[in-house]
Amino acid sequence: MSSPRTIRFTLNGEPVSATIMPHETLVDVLQHRFDLRGARESCGQGLCGCCTVHVDGKPVSGCLFLAVFADGARVDTVEGLARGDALDPVQEAFIEAGAFQCGFCTPGFVMMVKQLLKEHPEPTDEEVRHYLTGNLCRCSAYPEILDAVKLASARQAEAARRA
Amino acid sequence: MKPAPIAYVRPDTVERAVGLLSESGGEAKVLAGGQSLVPMLNLRIAAFERLVDVTGLPGLRSASDEGSEVRLGACVTHERIQTGDVPDPSNGLMPSTASRIAYQAVRNRGTIGGSLALADPAADWLATMAALGAAIEWVGPDGPGSCPAEAFVEAAYTTRLGLYDVLTGIRIPRLHPDARWGTYKLCRKTGEFAHAMAIAIRQPGGCRAFLGATEGAPIRLPAVEDMLAGLRGWDASDAARLGEAMAADVAAAGRSLSDVHAWQSRTCLARAVAMSFGAAPPRLGRAA
Repeated sequence: MSSPRTIRFTLNGEPVSATIMPHETLVDVLQHRFDLRGARESCGQGLCGCCTVHVDGKPVSGCLFLAVFADGARVDTVEGLARGDALDPVQEAFIEAGAFQCGFCTPGFVMMVKQLLKEHPEPTDEEVRHYLTGNLCRCSAYPEILDAVKLASARQAEAARRA
Repeated sequence: MKPAPIAYVRPDTVERAVGLLSESGGEAKVLAGGQSLVPMLNLRIAAFERLVDVTGLPGLRSASDEGSEVRLGACVTHERIQTGDVPDPSNGLMPSTASRIAYQAVRNRGTIGGSLALADPAADWLATMAALGAAIEWVGPDGPGSCPAEAFVEAAYTTRLGLYDVLTGIRIPRLHPDARWGTYKLCRKTGEFAHAMAIAIRQPGGCRAFLGATEGAPIRLPAVEDMLAGLRGWDASDAARLGEAMAADVAAAGRSLSDVHAWQSRTCLARAVAMSFGAAPPRLGRAA
C-alpha cells in the first residue's frame, strides 16, 4: 500500500527532489536527505517549535508536516537565511542579545521571529509573546529572546529608514 | 516519534475522495491540515492504512461572502481567519478565536474543517460555530448533506459525519451589526487545549450562550440566553444568578460537570459575558 514517491520542491532557493515514503515528516527528510540539521525534532507534537521551517513563506512545524505535502512548495530553513558570510539580522540580534545557551531551539525561534517581524515590524511585548508561545527554550533564555526580537526590529527599522 | 508506514492519496474531486474512503472500508482517514492527525500518527495512537488528503479538492480552500452569510471551505486555515484573509461574518469573534488556537505554526497549517471533523471536545470551533448558528456541509456516498453546527457533535470525537463523508464547508450567518460577543477559555498553558470555554453573544433578536470543552458536544445555555437578553450591563453581583442559570441549563441538557469543571465553566462564562459588555479581552500570549 505504502510506496515511495518522488517530490520536487524549492529548498532555500534551489530546485531539489527527493524520493520519500508518505509517512516521512519534512524535518526527517531535511535532516537525513539534505543534511540540514537546523530544524530538529524534539516533541513530535507541534508543542516546542524546534522544527520550525517556512513553507511557501509561512512557518510550520516540520514534525507535523508530512514531506509529501512539500511537493511543489517553497521550503526555507535557517540554513538559507545568511547571505554569504553575512548572517540574517535576526540571527545577529540573537547572538548580540545572548538569546540562547545550548542553541537547540534557536533555529526554530529565528524562523518564527521572521514571520513575526514581517507581520509586525515593531511588535509589542504581547505580540512577541503571542508569536513565540509555540517555541520552547529549555534553557529559559526568554528575557534575552525578547531583547533580541526588539533589537532585530530596531535594526530592521533603521535599515528601512536608510534605504 | 516516527509514524508507521501509510499510503497517501491526494484526490482532485470530492467524488474521488469519497470513493477512496468507501473502497478503503474504514481503514482510510481524511487529512485536512494534519495538525491533530499527524501528532496522533507520530505517537502511534491512531493507525490507518491510507491518508486521503482533501486540501487539493476544488473549493475547499476558498471562501465566499454571500451577503447574509459567509461560506468557508473546510480547508481554510486558522491563520487565514486570524489575519482577515477570508471574510468575517462575526464582528471579530472568529479572528479573535482563531488567534488563540494552539500556536502560530499550527494555525498556519491547521484548518477549520479538520478541527470540526475531528471534534476534540476542547477544540475552539465546535462551540464557536454552534454559537454563531453555522451549518456544516459534507459530501458522502449518498450525495451532499448538512446540519446545524449545534447538532453536529454527538459525543467526544464523534460527529454526524459518516465514515465515508468529507466535510466540505461551513456556512456562517452574519451577526447583527450591533451584536456584542465575549469568549473566554481556560488553559493552564497558552495554546494547549482548553479545560473550559464559554461564548456569549448578545444581539437584537436573540442572545446565544454556549459552553465548550465539556468532554462531549458543546452545551447550549437557554436560561443564560434569557438572562443575557434582560441585562443592561455587567456587574460582578450578577455572577451568582448567571451561575445558577448555567447549572440549570447543564442539568436540563442531561449533562453533568464535575465540581471543578463547573467552577471553571462558570468563571469562563462570567468573563465572556463581562467581555460582551466591554471588559478587556485576555491578553494574547498569556495563559488564562
